[in-house]
Amino acid sequence: METESNTADSASSSLEIGGLAGVFGTSDHKNLGRLYIYFGLMGGMLAFVLNILVRFERLDISSIGVFDFGSSNQFFQTWSLSRTSLLFFCVLPLLVGLATYLVPLQLGAPSLSFPRAASLAFWAWLIGILIHVVTVFADGGLGVPEPVSQFAQGMDPEATELSMLSIAMVVFALLLATICVVATVISQRPKGMTLFEVPLFSWSMLVAGGIWVLALPVWLSNLAISWVDFQGNDALRYGTVENIWDQLSWLWSQPMIFAFAIPVLGIAGDILPVSAGVPQRRYRLQQIAIGALGVLSFGAFAQPFFNPDVADQAVFVVMGLLVIIPIFIVMGGLADTAKQGKPIISAHLILAVVGVLSLFIASVLSIFHVSGAALGAVQELDDDWLNGLISWLRDVQGTVIATAVMEHALVAAVIGSVAGLYYWAPKIFGCRLNRKVGILAALAFLGGLMLSGGSNAINGILDEGDEVFRSSAYDGVWEPDGVEFLNLLGIVGSMLLLAGAALVLLDIVVSVLLNKGDVTDANDPWGGHTLEWATDSPPPVGNFPIPPVVDSERPLLSQVVMGGDEA
Amino acid sequence: MNMVTTNLPAAPPPRARSLLVATGFGVTGVLMYFGGLFGIYLRERSLVRSDGGTWIPDKAHIELTPPGMIIWTLLISVVVMQWSVYSIKRDDRQHALLAVGTTLLMGGMVLVQHGWQLSQMNLVADEGPTTAATLIYTIVGSYMAALVIGMIFIALMGFRALAGQYSSRQTDGIVAASLYWYSLVFIYFIIWIAVFIAK
Repeated sequence: METESNTADSASSSLEIGGLAGVFGTSDHKNLGRLYIYFGLMGGMLAFVLNILVRFERLDISSIGVFDFGSSNQFFQTWSLSRTSLLFFCVLPLLVGLATYLVPLQLGAPSLSFPRAASLAFWAWLIGILIHVVTVFADGGLGVPEPVSQFAQGMDPEATELSMLSIAMVVFALLLATICVVATVISQRPKGMTLFEVPLFSWSMLVAGGIWVLALPVWLSNLAISWVDFQGNDALRYGTVENIWDQLSWLWSQPMIFAFAIPVLGIAGDILPVSAGVPQRRYRLQQIAIGALGVLSFGAFAQPFFNPDVADQAVFVVMGLLVIIPIFIVMGGLADTAKQGKPIISAHLILAVVGVLSLFIASVLSIFHVSGAALGAVQELDDDWLNGLISWLRDVQGTVIATAVMEHALVAAVIGSVAGLYYWAPKIFGCRLNRKVGILAALAFLGGLMLSGGSNAINGILDEGDEVFRSSAYDGVWEPDGVEFLNLLGIVGSMLLLAGAALVLLDIVVSVLLNKGDVTDANDPWGGHTLEWATDSPPPVGNFPIPPVVDSERPLLSQVVMGGDEA
Repeated sequence: MNMVTTNLPAAPPPRARSLLVATGFGVTGVLMYFGGLFGIYLRERSLVRSDGGTWIPDKAHIELTPPGMIIWTLLISVVVMQWSVYSIKRDDRQHALLAVGTTLLMGGMVLVQHGWQLSQMNLVADEGPTTAATLIYTIVGSYMAALVIGMIFIALMGFRALAGQYSSRQTDGIVAASLYWYSLVFIYFIIWIAVFIAK
């Protein structure tokens, strides 16, 4: 028996291919997950650097597009690339990377569904982002801000076309990777695990992935129309350079932006009960709340370019008001769970709490964002004061409050992903990441978000327009000096966010690549509740020697039954 | 021989309809993509008409014969594709492959008819006065691309069936390809009605 086991182990290790062949030729979900995580963190650093540059430009609101950049076109390229890179080069790859690595493990599956498709998706994504970044710097990008001759602004039509095609490639690749993940959740569950017993991270990826599959193709259809119109000698409407971004911007607006932060709740839902050493309270209610957040974040209908009045329409307003409820329910469930046990303070717990709080603040700002339309719809009193308030709240809709909502939601997703990284590091890298560095990164993210997102929220109240690349965004600003000072604070905040991402990357380099990480008890250092902790760290080829059979959503906490025998 | 067997890692459990599930999500994505295109097309057309304008330029010639032929070809292909599913469920690989090949032939016919229609329409994308040409080219071009993907999918599943991967015990590949194909027929039905009939 022992001999057989040793032979099997050696066979497993012989199937692992190292070196460059292992990197470029891999379709192992663990390798792909790690690659997504590395490049996702680098993409995050790019996004935060671009955000700092954008904030520098907003330091002097009387000379937008002149101070740091050669033209308003270049400023717009930087601004739009900061958004596309935060979402497509950082948030989505980090979440998809974690899911690619962990979902099969949480389900006790030997691999991801369609590993070769997942591999294709990763490389298509990576090549796509490289092409996109190069074309943006080659005077391409997704349009220009003002309706003037594209050549007068130094814009290159061919580079623009390639920018559109490359970003389509990136989104297509991410969709393919998402389908691999959600197909795994649905079809690879072990015996005894119903969908209501799926671990919360996998469940949240199922919900989020479902919404992405519903919404991102609609965004691709916008892009396709722009691209076709852009082909002609004279674009008529959709491909005119000043209109391209306007058709695509809904993806970074509420309610859609919340769809990219849904997995934060799942990550926190997996971390907190383990830290507290007790089962998650009201598990199904948590699952329903996460599902409800998915429903409330489907925003493909909210396209201001084609429907300019959408921000005043009932569905949009109601979704903006209700989005806080599922987040609040999950927070309540987590607090209740924490109360039952004694949470051990760790880097991943602090990061998870900060991530969920950031998402909560995003939902509060969302309510503020739609409150003008909501109050306007229900008020029946002929009251000048109330009408004045409603008028002011309506004006808030076109301001950088929208940017604050986006920033809080997307940075929440980054923080949540980093929390997951610290929690699952023993499983992913075979060692723990440094606890102190993790806490420092959490503080940097928290401080950065308060300064960067907070300054945007206050600048919105001071009437700084959301389209910061247009000089018209600063017409009628209440307190220009105050706006510029807050933008200075925004620079500090963006630098802190960059520092947070850099700390995490540095920690991975030191702990993993330089072998300084703590390998003690790496198989299950936290006393995990879910199946990924039942196998080695990092897991062998095939993940589990025998397909596990489970009977609850926390099989390790209650009882693990491996292959029908009690372990 | 015994050593070779013990050298292998544990066999993965049978995949529980992964291909069908993934195809379901893929079909959903394709439907949403065309849903987005149709939504924009119908809205833009409605705006032009409500202003008293003409949506399709007067000089354009959108004949109904090619779209009519296409929809009939596709409807027949649904029956043929279902024939392949029926046959593979009964281990009748010969007829399953015959049906797959016929479906591919019909797909090729649809592509040819699309190409002929596009060449006859006299629609120029950047001339205006409306954006009808841009949107019609986007919708029809996207549809042709989706059709080519569908044909590759069917051909791949056909080759796998030929290699013996699919039988009455495992029909997922053929069923998944047919699911995608039916969704394409449904999408063309919308194009036929919304773009060509009610132009």
